[in-house]
Amino acid sequence: MAVTDSLKKTARVKSIEKFDFFHDERVRSVFYQLLTAAAVGWVAWYLFTATSQNLEVRGMKSGFAFLGVEAGFGTDFKLIDYTIGTGTYGDIFLIGILNTLYISALAILASTILGFSVGVLRLSSNWLVSKVALTFVEIFRNTPLLIQVIFWYTGIFSLLPKVKKSFDLSGGAEVVLLNNRGLYMPWPVPGDLLWMTGLTLILAIVGAIGYRWWTKMRQNKTGQIAPVFLPFAALVIIFPGVVFFMSGSPLSWDIPVLEGFNFVGGATLPPAFLALFVALTIYHAAHLAETVRAGILSVNKGQQDAARAIGLRENRVMSLVVIPQAMPAIVPPMISLWMNVVKNSSLAIAIGYPDLVSVFMQTSLNQVGHAIEIVGMTMAFYMFVSLTISGLLNIYNKRVQLVVR
Amino acid sequence: MAIITKEKTTARAAPLSDKSLIGWLRLNLFNSVFNTILTVVTVYIIYITVEGLLVWGVIDAVWIADTRRACFAISLDGACWAGVVSWLDNIFYGRYPREELWRINLGGLLLVIWMAPLWLPRVKAKVTIGLTTVFLYPFLAGYLFAGGDKGLFMQIMISGAILCLVGNTLHAFIGVFTGKGLPEFLIALLGKKAAPEKSQRNILLGILAVCFAVVYMLQMGASFETVSWTKWGGLFLTLVISGIGIASALPGGIILALGRRSKLPIIRVLSTAFIELFRSVPLITVLFMATTMFPLFMPEGFVLNKLTQVIIAVCLFNACYMAETVRAGLQAIPQGQYEGAHTIGLGYWGTMGFIIMPQALKHMIPNIVGSFIGLLKDTTLVSIIGLFDILGMLRSISRDAPWLGLHKEPLVFGAMLFFLICFAMSKYSRRLEVKLSTDHKH
Repeated sequence: MAVTDSLKKTARVKSIEKFDFFHDERVRSVFYQLLTAAAVGWVAWYLFTATSQNLEVRGMKSGFAFLGVEAGFGTDFKLIDYTIGTGTYGDIFLIGILNTLYISALAILASTILGFSVGVLRLSSNWLVSKVALTFVEIFRNTPLLIQVIFWYTGIFSLLPKVKKSFDLSGGAEVVLLNNRGLYMPWPVPGDLLWMTGLTLILAIVGAIGYRWWTKMRQNKTGQIAPVFLPFAALVIIFPGVVFFMSGSPLSWDIPVLEGFNFVGGATLPPAFLALFVALTIYHAAHLAETVRAGILSVNKGQQDAARAIGLRENRVMSLVVIPQAMPAIVPPMISLWMNVVKNSSLAIAIGYPDLVSVFMQTSLNQVGHAIEIVGMTMAFYMFVSLTISGLLNIYNKRVQLVVR
Repeated sequence: MAIITKEKTTARAAPLSDKSLIGWLRLNLFNSVFNTILTVVTVYIIYITVEGLLVWGVIDAVWIADTRRACFAISLDGACWAGVVSWLDNIFYGRYPREELWRINLGGLLLVIWMAPLWLPRVKAKVTIGLTTVFLYPFLAGYLFAGGDKGLFMQIMISGAILCLVGNTLHAFIGVFTGKGLPEFLIALLGKKAAPEKSQRNILLGILAVCFAVVYMLQMGASFETVSWTKWGGLFLTLVISGIGIASALPGGIILALGRRSKLPIIRVLSTAFIELFRSVPLITVLFMATTMFPLFMPEGFVLNKLTQVIIAVCLFNACYMAETVRAGLQAIPQGQYEGAHTIGLGYWGTMGFIIMPQALKHMIPNIVGSFIGLLKDTTLVSIIGLFDILGMLRSISRDAPWLGLHKEPLVFGAMLFFLICFAMSKYSRRLEVKLSTDHKH
C-alpha cells in the first residue's frame, strides 16, 4: 500500500512539474558518465591503433615469447642459481623480483627498529638527546634519497680499503670483513641432523605461546601475574640447544678465506647492496621517527596521568597504556612507509644493485625491446605488492576499529 | 582536632628554576643518573661528529685550486671544495650559454616580483594574482628560457603576461599605500566614481585593450636567441620540472579527487584506477614508461623530446599523489557543510567551489607543502634517465678531467642546498598552518 501511495505521489509531482530533459539530474549523470567513458574509450582506442601501427612500421614483435629467450648477461648478486648462457629473461625477471624483495625486507626491518628508537629518543626528557634526534630526522628527511644513495655508494662504500687491507669487523677473528668489494660473512652450512633442532625449536615456540596464553587466562581470572620472559627464554633457548648438542652440533660455518686477490666462501654483500640498504634504512627511519612521535603524542596526556595514579610503573605506563593507544595512529602511516621502501628500492638503478627495475626495465629492455610488455610486467609487480600491503592495512584497520568505540 | 605548632617552620629552599642556566641544565640534562650518563655520551658523540666534519669540511678544506691533484697537494684529508666552486655555474644553470644567463635570472626575478604581492597584507584579490601566476607566468618564462620564434598564440600570451605583471605590480603598490584595488583606483583617478557600474566597466575594458595593444606592439620588436632544451640543466632544470609539476599537480589532483568522490560510478572507478595505478609504482618506472612507451603512442613522424616526456610523466605522477592529499582534506569537511550549501540552493560546482574547497584547501596546506617538498626531492630522479638536472651536474664533476673521482664534496653540497630549500619550506608551512587556522582554541 505504501508503495502505491508513493507511486501516486511521484506521478502527481511529475504531472505538475514539466519533465525537463536537459536539467534532469539522472539524465545529466548518465550523460556525463557516457561522455567520460567515450573520451577514455577514444583515448584507449587511439593508443592501441597508434601503437600497433608504430610497432608494425618499425618491424617490432610483441608478445611474451622473449621471456624464454637466453638473456646472455648475468648479475653480480642473485638469490637463485643462474648461469650466463642458459638463463632466460624470465629468470632475470625472477632475479630482479627476489633482489627487490630481499633488500626491501631487510631495509623495512632495520628502518622500523631504528625509526622507533629515534622516535622515542625524540620524546626523551633529556633536552640534548631530543635535539640530536631532531637534527638526525630533519637532515635525512629534507635531502633527496637519491643523493643519499649515491653518497653512500660513491662516497663511502666504494672508497673502503682494498681486499688485502679489509676492515675486520669481528675484532681480529677475520671472519666478518669489509672492503671495497663488499661485506664478507660466514654462512651456515646445515648438517644432516639439523632438522631435529629445527623441530624442537618449533615445538618450543608453540609451547611458549601456549604458556603465554595460559598465564593470560590465569591473570584474567585471579589477577596473579606470572613471569613470562624467563620461562620463554628458557623454553626457546635451552631445549633446542640441548638437542643441538646431543645430535652432535650438525652445523658448520663456511668462512670467507683470502685466496689470491679476493675472498672465497661465506656470504658476500656487494657495496651497492650495502649502500642502498643503509640509505633506505636511514631515510625511512627518519620518516618513521616523526610518525612514531606524532602517534605517541596523540595519546591524551590524561591517560598517562591516570595510569600513574593507579600505581603503574613508568615502563608499564608505556607498554600497557600509551603504546596500545598510539598504535592505531602509527601503524597505517608506517605500513605506507614500508610500501615506500619497496618503491624506493628501485633507486638501486643509480648505483648498479641488480633490482627489478635495473636488470629488467633497463638492461633487458635495452637488449630485447618489448617496451610495453616489460614496463607492464614491472608495474604489475609493484602494483601487486602495493595491493597486498594495502589489503593487510585494511584488515588491521578493521580490527582496530572494532576495539576503539 | 587542630595541630598548633609553636616553632616557626623553616623556609624551604626555592624550587629549581629553569630560568637560571644551572637550574635549566639540572632540569633538562642532569635530572637523574641515567639522564646524566645519556647527556655525557651524547655530548661525546656530538663532539666527535662535529669535530670530524669541521676538520674535513672547513679547517683542512681547500677552496681554491685548479685540479684535484692540486687539492691533494695542499691537504690530503680535507674536502676539495675547489671543484664545486669552479663548477658553480654548471650546478646552477647547466650548459646554458653563459652570455644568456641573465634570461634565467630575469625569469626568476619576475617570478618573485609577480608573487611578492601575495605576502603583502593590504593587497586585495590575492586569488587572482595566484591564478595569473599559474596560468600566465609560464608563457613569459617559457619564452625567456627557450627563445626562438614567437607564434601568434605565444605573442598574445606573452603580451597578456607582461600586461598582467605590470598591472599586478601597480595593483600591489596602490594596495600597500591606499588599501584599494587597481580598478577602483583608476576609476577614482578618472573622476568617474559616480558613473553607473556598466560604464565603469567599459572604461576599464577600454584601458585594458589600449594597454594590451601597446604591449603587443612593444613585444613584437623583442626576440631572443633560441636555446635548445638540451642545454638546460642544473638547479634551473630541476626547478623548471618541479615548478611545472607543482603548478599542474594541484588542479589535476583536485579534478581526480573530485572524480574519486563522485557519485557517478564510471567516473569514480576510472579516477580510482588511475590514482591507484600511479601511486603504487615507483616514479622511476613511470619515467621509463614515458621514455620508452610514449614514442610508440605518437603518430608517425611526431617526436616528443625527452624533456617533454619527463614533464608529462612527473605531472601525471604528482597529480595522483596530490589527489590523495586533496581527498583527505575533503574528508575532513563535515557533512553539514554540504547540506548547508544545498539548502541555500547551490549546485555541485557551487558547493565545491564556494563552500567545500576553500575550507578543505586550508586544511591541506601542510600536506600540500609536504607533497611539493617530496616532488622537489623526487625530481632528482630525472638524472637517471639522462637529463642533466642538478644531480646530473653534480655527478658529472667526478667525470670531468681535472676533478676525476671527486664524488663526496659535490653530493654534500647538493644535499645542503636541498636541505636549505626543503627545510625552509616545511618550516614556513608550519607557520602558515598556525596563521590560517580558524579553529577555536581555549
